[in-house]
Amino acid sequence: MLDFFTIFSKGGIVLWCFQGTGVTESFTGPVNALIRSVILQERSGNNSYTHDALSLKYKLDNEFELVFVVGFQKILTLTYVDKFIDDVQLHFRDRYKNVLEQKGALTLLNSHFAFEDDFKMLLREAEESSKARGPTSMRSFNASLKSQKTVKSMIETKGGDKGKEQGGKKNKNAKKEAPAAEPVKGEKAKAPTSAQKTVENGNQGLTKEEIIQKKREEFIRKRMGAPVEKPSKSPKPAKEKPKGKEKRVWTLGGSSTKELDYSQSNGNGAHAAGDHGLDAQADPGMQLSSMKGDLLAVDYESSEGDEEEEEEDAVERVVVADTSKKIPKKGAFGGMFGMLKGLVGSKSLSQEDMEPVLDKMRDHLIAKNVAAEIASQLCDSVAKKLEGKVMGTFTTVASTVKGALQDSLVQILQPKRRVDILRDVLEARSQRRPFVITFCGVNGVGKSTNLAKISFWLIENGFTVLIAACDTFRAGAVEQLRTHQRRLNSLHPPQDHGGRPIVQLYEKGYGKDAAGIAMEAIAYARNQAFDVVLVDTAGRMQDNTPLMTALAKLIAVNMPDLVLFVGEALVGNEAVDQLVKFNQALADHSMSDKPRLIDGIVLTKFDTIDDKVGAAISMTYITGQPIVFVGTGQTYNDLRSLNARAVVGALMKA
Amino acid sequence: MEDNIDVEAGENPFQPYLDALWKELEHQDPIFIIGIIFSLAVVVISFVLFKYFLSSKTVQSAVLLVGLCDSGKTLLFSRLLSGKFKKTQTSITDNSAPYKAKNEKGSSWTLIDVPGHDSLRPQYVEKFKSAARAIVFVVDSAIFQKEVRDVAEFLYFLLTDSAVSRNVPSLIVACNKQDITMAKSAKLIQQQLEKEMNTLRVTRSAALGTQDGSAGSSVHLGKKGKDFEFSQLPMKVEFLECSARGSKGENGQADIGSLEKSLANL
Repeated sequence: MLDFFTIFSKGGIVLWCFQGTGVTESFTGPVNALIRSVILQERSGNNSYTHDALSLKYKLDNEFELVFVVGFQKILTLTYVDKFIDDVQLHFRDRYKNVLEQKGALTLLNSHFAFEDDFKMLLREAEESSKARGPTSMRSFNASLKSQKTVKSMIETKGGDKGKEQGGKKNKNAKKEAPAAEPVKGEKAKAPTSAQKTVENGNQGLTKEEIIQKKREEFIRKRMGAPVEKPSKSPKPAKEKPKGKEKRVWTLGGSSTKELDYSQSNGNGAHAAGDHGLDAQADPGMQLSSMKGDLLAVDYESSEGDEEEEEEDAVERVVVADTSKKIPKKGAFGGMFGMLKGLVGSKSLSQEDMEPVLDKMRDHLIAKNVAAEIASQLCDSVAKKLEGKVMGTFTTVASTVKGALQDSLVQILQPKRRVDILRDVLEARSQRRPFVITFCGVNGVGKSTNLAKISFWLIENGFTVLIAACDTFRAGAVEQLRTHQRRLNSLHPPQDHGGRPIVQLYEKGYGKDAAGIAMEAIAYARNQAFDVVLVDTAGRMQDNTPLMTALAKLIAVNMPDLVLFVGEALVGNEAVDQLVKFNQALADHSMSDKPRLIDGIVLTKFDTIDDKVGAAISMTYITGQPIVFVGTGQTYNDLRSLNARAVVGALMKA
Repeated sequence: MEDNIDVEAGENPFQPYLDALWKELEHQDPIFIIGIIFSLAVVVISFVLFKYFLSSKTVQSAVLLVGLCDSGKTLLFSRLLSGKFKKTQTSITDNSAPYKAKNEKGSSWTLIDVPGHDSLRPQYVEKFKSAARAIVFVVDSAIFQKEVRDVAEFLYFLLTDSAVSRNVPSLIVACNKQDITMAKSAKLIQQQLEKEMNTLRVTRSAALGTQDGSAGSSVHLGKKGKDFEFSQLPMKVEFLECSARGSKGENGQADIGSLEKSLANL
């Protein structure tokens, strides 16, 4: 049933492999894909991965630096695989302990691991154990619960079927009830907590009759009106039900329908977020005289939503902080001796050892503005990487974990492909086509400002730039770009570049379709032999579906060379949501089967954060794409590239 | 006159102490004195040896196998050390082992196989670059055309690194995977790389500085004003062809004769 099973060292040498019967393709491809996407991108918290039709599960052995990978068809759901991998790992370790302990690449190369027989035996055992739990036989009618009830009890009536049910059971088992009721009445004075507890915990162990009896006792107790200390949710609604429904009063609703008539008043405050897009655009005259008089109050809907979100985040953070405070209290005394014990001698790391350190690191990362779920995924991945590893002498658990976390952070921030815009522009120039860069992002992150900075950098290096003003919605967007163009041209006058202005703006005013303008701009650039086209788009919220569709259409139709997502460094947990939704929208609305997703990230407003640089980690972790530019200010010179080591240093600094 | 008196006064306070000490020493057992002198000598010698051993670790004694992902470094490593063919996967950590060169001296040094994946490459190169006495840059000759910019960038990054330009290790560019029919020859790869490096000199020096102010290295490759050629570099550069898999497939020998010869000449 398994397609393949491999055991290889972390250095890449395959020690042993097994290929299932009838499987012809080599498994090197899928396993390499597994390594690149999961292990190297620090997503090892979740130990399964799908690649085309194959589902891969893996396990890391950190003591001997081995990786165990099993692959099987995705459509099969094999329940024994997890336990099987663990068994194989233990077996392999025990059998080849001597060889593996020598820890040299030479020993691995020279030794031959004849593991087939053991493997086949383990596989057989695993398959048999999964078959052993045969199909459960159906219960006969007499043994089922249904035969206990009467027909009358199964008819649901309005007054609550509990009464009817009790009635039915009381009629049937009158004898049982009498002795049961008396001890219950006697018990009434005692705290009913014990009975409550047994009901909550012990239902699985009791037979059906006993459950019915207990529930009956409960009901009688409630009927008697005994004070129930442990809150049970059922008495309250039972009491409230006979009262009937009260009329609900909305505090903000007002009392008459006249207040709901907005036909007289002006349009500004009442419009919802999504609507105003097209209406206001088509009709600029309508905005005249709409701001006369006092400013209207801010929209309650959106602000409440934001407040709620902030509260939730704050509560989450407080909860996380509390749990972390509790843990060290417990382990402080034992931890002291543990630390001394851990200092000397070789000790292998276990989950419990790493738990307190990882919690502290997770809180530290969250305090440095890394998104909460990213921080926890990272810590899980580091735990998986270190589990079972043998520490050297005089190294504490904390230092090992910190070192591993630092390595993984640097690894995440390193670009997974070559990032050299100038070289790619030269390549495009040699192919006689313009290099197209598109900027997308939410509102107010700095797209236009950083576009101007990037065009300054490009013209300093002698490339001609065409700016396409595809932000046809925001007032002043085109004028802003025109001002930038004039300034850049005055800094690099056309006389220096053969009489031709080095920066030009392609704009078609407001209200037009952005994708069409972009296509025309690229065609114009090709005709006029511009080197680079920078496409500025309007800012849009990630859950605004029509605008996301429009962006996806722009990108799918124009196929830019680089799609840059502009994100500010101040963003916290929102970064995850923004990037996921942007990528999702781009993937959904493109017609081809290889959709253009976000290729790079521009991190702006980097000068406003001191060392709370966590947004960089969140963004690169979510997309797997590199940070191409870092904006560190508002003048043309404030454009940098990312230094992974410096950012990780600032992140790990206490 | 005063100076003389001062000097004498300076000597005089110590003189009685010195005399007392000398008298004490004379009274002691000569073996005791010999013991003290011997232990002092041992301490000094061990200190010197310790320093020598510490410093000798940083003496270049390693040959690095570097290259892009999937260029065949781990298989080459296996072939050089044991001659066997082993299936390989993408390396996550480095492999290192002592290697005996096939020359008359029988010198042995460490062969280190560095992972080629882009996210791991910088940290491992950082770790091993100062210990390198030679760098074997493995290139996948079959898909070289597509990867030429990535290969050139990595090579540029290696050559302009401060530690490498200081130690000047010899560079061997091994054009691997020659058993595939579409593989490019070493000469062609050399020409293409020279052209690429020429362009890279311009674009890399114009690249943006990093956000904390540290600019990239300012090493300029080759001669200014002239087109870049590998012969302009301060280190010895050699291009050769090899095939780790070998023409007969998995069970045959690998065609790494020229590589072994170059390694022997180190």
